[in-house]
Amino acid sequence: MRGALSGLGRFAARQPLGAVGAVLVLILIATAMLAPRLAPHGPKEAAFAPYLPPSAEFPLGTDQIGRDVLSRVIWGARLSLYVGLASVVFGVTLGWLWGVVSAYVGGVADTASQRVVDALMALPPIILALSLMAALGQSVNNVILALTILLTPTASRTLRSLALSIRESPYVEAARAVGCPTWRVIALHVLPNTFATYIVLVTVNVSYAIVVEASLSFLGLGAPPDEPSWGAMLTAGTQAMEPAPWMFMFPGLAISLTVFGLNLLGDAVRDLTDPHLRGGLG
Amino acid sequence: MRALPSVRSALALACVIVLEAAGAAAQEKPRYGGVLTWFDYGDPGRLDVHAESPLVVQQATAGVYSGLIQYDPDDPSKIVPDLAERWTVSPDGRTYTFHLRKGVKWHDGQPFSAADVKASFDRILNPDFKSPKCGAALKPMVASVEAIGPSTVQFRLKFAAAPFLGNVASSWCRVAAKHILEKYGDLNTPEAQIGTGPFRFKRYERGNLIEWEKNKDYFVRGLPYLDGVRQYILVGGPTQLAAAKAGRIMLWDAWPPMKRTQAEELQRARTDVDIYQASINTIFLLYMNAQKPPFGNPDLRRAVSLALDRQELVAKALEGAGVPCALLDPKLVGDFALPLEEVQKLPGCRQPKDADLAEAKKLVEKHHPSGLDIEVAVRTVGNYVDRAQLVLAQLRKVGIRASLKSYESAAGYAAFGKGDFTLIAAQDRSMDTPDPESLFSVIYSTNAGSNYGRWSDPKVDELAERALKEPSRDKRKQLYWELQRHIFAGAPAAVPVAWVEGWFFRDRKVMGYKPALTTYDNNTFMKVWLRE
Repeated sequence: MRGALSGLGRFAARQPLGAVGAVLVLILIATAMLAPRLAPHGPKEAAFAPYLPPSAEFPLGTDQIGRDVLSRVIWGARLSLYVGLASVVFGVTLGWLWGVVSAYVGGVADTASQRVVDALMALPPIILALSLMAALGQSVNNVILALTILLTPTASRTLRSLALSIRESPYVEAARAVGCPTWRVIALHVLPNTFATYIVLVTVNVSYAIVVEASLSFLGLGAPPDEPSWGAMLTAGTQAMEPAPWMFMFPGLAISLTVFGLNLLGDAVRDLTDPHLRGGLG
Repeated sequence: MRALPSVRSALALACVIVLEAAGAAAQEKPRYGGVLTWFDYGDPGRLDVHAESPLVVQQATAGVYSGLIQYDPDDPSKIVPDLAERWTVSPDGRTYTFHLRKGVKWHDGQPFSAADVKASFDRILNPDFKSPKCGAALKPMVASVEAIGPSTVQFRLKFAAAPFLGNVASSWCRVAAKHILEKYGDLNTPEAQIGTGPFRFKRYERGNLIEWEKNKDYFVRGLPYLDGVRQYILVGGPTQLAAAKAGRIMLWDAWPPMKRTQAEELQRARTDVDIYQASINTIFLLYMNAQKPPFGNPDLRRAVSLALDRQELVAKALEGAGVPCALLDPKLVGDFALPLEEVQKLPGCRQPKDADLAEAKKLVEKHHPSGLDIEVAVRTVGNYVDRAQLVLAQLRKVGIRASLKSYESAAGYAAFGKGDFTLIAAQDRSMDTPDPESLFSVIYSTNAGSNYGRWSDPKVDELAERALKEPSRDKRKQLYWELQRHIFAGAPAAVPVAWVEGWFFRDRKVMGYKPALTTYDNNTFMKVWLRE
């Protein structure tokens, strides 16, 4: 325990901005996990007067149909984190496996699979996401699916380039020379050596996924409108910017702080895992 | 900041504005020139005024066509000639003969004749042709249409029907060119928009703009005053309000109305507009699909009706501007409507809601002990999504858990028309005419144009038909009261939530414009002119 604490202390000393990011991310995770306990009201409970300004009873005011904005912002953390983590884990993992296997197998299979990646990367991400959502229909799980499709090619391309150099490493050649089957070389030698980059990609892309989810919801193609999505709350806020500015300010602030925190943490993790910058924590 | 007019003074104020405008217009000489700008809430997609029902189709084509007769642009409560210069009625009230204007030309230069009128109404009345507005209103009463000369048309009715003239005057009963119908087969495309109206159809940019230009050969000499009309397709409240605040649109007098907060915002931004509160003859409904589970079951339809808190929906979603519960609005149809005091004591409407909620819960539990999961449809226009979220919150209280599926406007209409839904959380329907009959031909009769829930009640059909045939006003009133009580006591697929009111504006330089008694009428702008 003491060791862990001192490790965190050293992390904070070496990466002060990363520590700020970590704190923000921890707050986000805690808020998401404890949403049912923290939120004073249900996120869909429209039991109050509309457009009430912030007060002791409603610290962030109420929205256009009389829901507590604080409760929706708190529940929104859960939705954002769920969508962000799930899509990134699925998308980056899929891209990881795709890139590594493609690089290791090489030849025509690699060329063909990378043309598919090229095709997917050629499409502007938000246009691709909008098209997918229009085709799939509005639901939280479809947002995750659309984001997975969005994230997979980038992750695949990044991790493939790393796997190409690992494939030529002496230890991989040695494994092949002693007759290791292909799947075993990939599973035991190539994948573990790309894991650090995989983790960085996961960390960096969570904020991207959260922003895309908010953007899709803002455009009316993300989570269903009654779900407490920060993006959808922003849209509702734009309908009443003059009379009820709290409706867009607080979800906007939540998105900003979350993305800020995740980016700071992601940068710190990247610095710590980059061999050129890495000094270790020890 | 100036206070906005109160709800009670709404219609009175609208009238005052109209009278002031009329007075001012009478004093000033109409000026020629200029382009009027206003907006459509969505993209019409298809433009066939005989076959479609969205307001945006009506708005897109209103000034292009003429009817046989019309609601007077100067006094919307009167019916006056349009393509027919006069008409006669047989003593038994079953034959109407319309004498048409001579020398009228279509926009493509072809001459207009009685054959065009016959072709249009034969199309509308064809039992195999789905005509949700004009057809739904006229089919029950019209037996045949005959051209008895190049300039004379005769309508033979199945019975003497009091609302007949009002229905023919409806802006959905437009006369199209026979040669255009033969050439294109329908009126959906911009090329097929050849009318005899005050404006020619000039341009349709999908999702962006619809434009008309002056018809210099219009059959009413001296009209129109405007060089053209430009309708921006503006989807979403913030865009519409931004256009209004920026002075990009001169008129907001169609659905969706502004909410009070929007009206206040506009009032702060512009001092050159008159803002007024008014009714637009439009009812807010919740539809259930009576042909599919779970709402094929009348118990569950009843549960939904009981669970709805109409007063809360009006207070929050309409910001207080509406008449909750009523099937007919006394402000619009007078004593044909059941007294509001009676309506407000009925199950589903009475306050407090405790007894209704308990009964609704019992009905849901009887058929779905662990609650009911459904998908709820909503078009993403106006503030339907807000209304739908409130409806969902209210249904949750009685054990109905719903997920929301949103549709773009035209896609929603297509799905609803095919019966491809379980429950529509919010859908406004405007009346085609000011007659109480319109409610039943639009929504509640088996063949009603907007009977999306495919609900059929023989007693409703019978009472509606008897009311149509009844010449005595008092007896018609009694029949409509019986009809309203019967629908309230049953489990209809279309649940009345409220009659919609809201706020509108007119730029003070727009002259000669009178709000009509329905949201569909008087959108031709034939007498509108712009002050310098």
